[in-house]
Amino acid sequence: MLDIKNLHVAVDGKEILKGLTLSIGAGQVHAIMGPNGSGKSTLSYVLAGRAGYEITSGSIAYNGEDLNALAPEERAAKGVFLAMQYPVEIPGVTTLTFLKTALNAQRRARGEKEVDAMTVLKTVRAKAAALKVSEEMLKRALNVGFSGGEKKRLEILQMALFEPKLAILDETDSGLDIDALKLVAEGVNALRNPERAMLVITHYQRLLDYIVPDRIHVLAGGRIVAEGGKELAHELEAKGYEHIVGKAA
Amino acid sequence: MNANAHWLDERRAEAANRFAAQGVPHRRIEDWKYSDLKTAIDGANDDATLTPAVTGPLTIEHLVIRNGAEAPDWVRLHLGALPLNAMASRSFAQAREVHAFRVGATDVADRLHLVFEGAGSAHVLIVLDDGAGLTLDETVMPAGFSNIGVEIVVGANAQLTHIRKMPRSDAVQVEEYAVSVARDGVYRAHLFNGGGKLTRAEFQIALAGENAQAHLSGVSVLGGQAHADITTHITHAVGRTTSTQLFKKIAGGKSRAVYQGRITVEQGADKSDSRQTAKALLMGERAEADLKPELEIFADDVKCAHGAAVGDLDANSLFYLRARGIPEAEARNMLVRAFLEEVVAEILDADIRATVWQAVEGALPGAMAP
Repeated sequence: MLDIKNLHVAVDGKEILKGLTLSIGAGQVHAIMGPNGSGKSTLSYVLAGRAGYEITSGSIAYNGEDLNALAPEERAAKGVFLAMQYPVEIPGVTTLTFLKTALNAQRRARGEKEVDAMTVLKTVRAKAAALKVSEEMLKRALNVGFSGGEKKRLEILQMALFEPKLAILDETDSGLDIDALKLVAEGVNALRNPERAMLVITHYQRLLDYIVPDRIHVLAGGRIVAEGGKELAHELEAKGYEHIVGKAA
Repeated sequence: MNANAHWLDERRAEAANRFAAQGVPHRRIEDWKYSDLKTAIDGANDDATLTPAVTGPLTIEHLVIRNGAEAPDWVRLHLGALPLNAMASRSFAQAREVHAFRVGATDVADRLHLVFEGAGSAHVLIVLDDGAGLTLDETVMPAGFSNIGVEIVVGANAQLTHIRKMPRSDAVQVEEYAVSVARDGVYRAHLFNGGGKLTRAEFQIALAGENAQAHLSGVSVLGGQAHADITTHITHAVGRTTSTQLFKKIAGGKSRAVYQGRITVEQGADKSDSRQTAKALLMGERAEADLKPELEIFADDVKCAHGAAVGDLDANSLFYLRARGIPEAEARNMLVRAFLEEVVAEILDADIRATVWQAVEGALPGAMAP
C-alpha cells in the first residue's frame, strides 16, 4: 500500500530525511521508533502533504500513485490519515461541525453522497462512546480547552469516523497517562483490519506494548538503521537508541 | 422669528464656526493620519441634506426640526449639547433639518430603523428617557460624499442596542456619534462595515454616571481598495463604569482597515473597568491594517486591558483542516468565519445576528479574492 523509496526531504534547505526506504502492506501495522531529531515528524508531515517539506529525491507511492503529486485534502479523500502529535485548537468552529464538514468534503471528493447532520451525529455518537469523547466535547470549539488526552482521543475518533486506508499516528502516546494510553490504544486496535495499514510513530516502547506492531523500523539521522519484529522495541528500551544506532553505523 | 428658533440658529452657527476653525480633516491631523478625508473628497462640498428613511413604532416621538420651527424642551436641552467633533459639527451646520427621536420609559423593547441612502449631510438626535429601551437598527448605503452626525443620550437605567450595517460602496462616508450614558445606562453597538473609498465611523462616548456601560463590537470585511476606519474614544468620567470593545477586520486585496481606540479614565474614576481588543487578518499581500489602542489613565484604582494583533491565517490550522480532507478555499473560509464568530456572537438577538452574518457572507468573497 505504501512504498517509500530512498526518500530525501529537506526543510528550509536542510536535509532531514536522507534516503529512507519503507514498505507497508494492507493489514499491517508498522512502527517507527527513533530518538528526538531523527526525522520522525518530518516523515509524518511529508506523508500528509504539509507545505515546506520538500522531497529532493526518492519517491512515495501510495497504492501505486505518486503521493507527492496530491494536495493534503486529496490524500485525505484517498484514505491517508495523520493523527497529529499536536492537534490544533480552532476557536469558533465546533467539533461536531468540523467532523461533518471534513467527512462530507472527503465523500464529495470521492463522488459519494454527502450525509446529513443527523446521520453524522448518530455515527459520531456511536463511535465516541468507546473513546469516552463526551457529547459536551463535541459541542465545544475544536480542541479548545481540551486536555492532552482529550485531544488524542478526538484524533482517534476522527480516524474511526473517516475510516482511512493508511493511518499514520504521530507520537499519539505523548502526554498521555497510562489509562489514557490504554484507551487510545484500544481505539486504535479496534480499527485494525485486513484492508487498513498503520504506521505508528513513537519515541517510546510503551505504546507498542498496547499496539503491537508487525514490524519495527528504527529511524536515526534520517535513515532506517535497524529493523525487526516486535521484540526490537524491548531491546531498544533495555539498551537505548545509542546502542542500536551505534551498531548500525 | 421666535426666541426658540433663534436658539437653534445660534447653535448651528456655533457648529459652523467650530467646523470652519478646524476645516476638513486631513492626514497631518493626528486623529486622522490613517484617513485622509480632505484628499478623498477632493474639494467636493456637497451641501445637500440627506433625509433618513425612518420606520418605527408611532410611540417613539419623531420630530423633524428646521430653522424657524418650534422645538420642545427636550430637544433644546440636548441638541448640540454634547461635544461635537469637526465633522459632526459640519453635519449639524449643513443639514437643513434635524431628526430628533425620543423614547420614553414605556416604549421598552421598541425598534427604530434608520436608513441613510445617498449623499449629503444628516444630523440626528436620539434621546432615551430614564429606564427606556431601544434597538436602533441603522443601515448606511452611502454614495458620493455623506456626512452624518448622531447625538445619543442614554438616560439613567436606559438601554440602547445599536446595530449599524454598511455594505461595501465607493463612497466617502463620515459618521460621528456623540454618546452620553447616564447612571446604570447601557449602550451597545455592533457594527458591520464593508468599507468604501474612505469610510469612518467615530464614536465619542462619555460614561457619565456610576455603573454606566458601553460595549462596542464590530466586523469589517474589506476587499479591493476599500478603506474603513473605526475610531472610538470612550471616557470613563466617573468611577465603576465599564467599557468593552472587540473589533475584528478582514483585509483583502489592497484594502485598508483602521482602528483607533482611545480610553480616557478621568481622575477619581476609580474601579473603572475597560477592555479593548482589535485584530486584523490580512488576506491580501497589499492589504494594510492599522490598529492603535490608546490608554489615558488619570485614576489609580482601575482595570484596563488592551491588545491588538495583525496576522495572516494560521498555517497550522489551515494544514490541519486540509489534512482532514477540507479543500483549501473551504478551509480558509472556515477559518475566517471562525475568526469573526467571537464578534458576531456578542450580538444577543438571534435575528440581528443572522442579518449581520448575512452581511458578512455577502462581503467575504470580495475580501477573499486575490
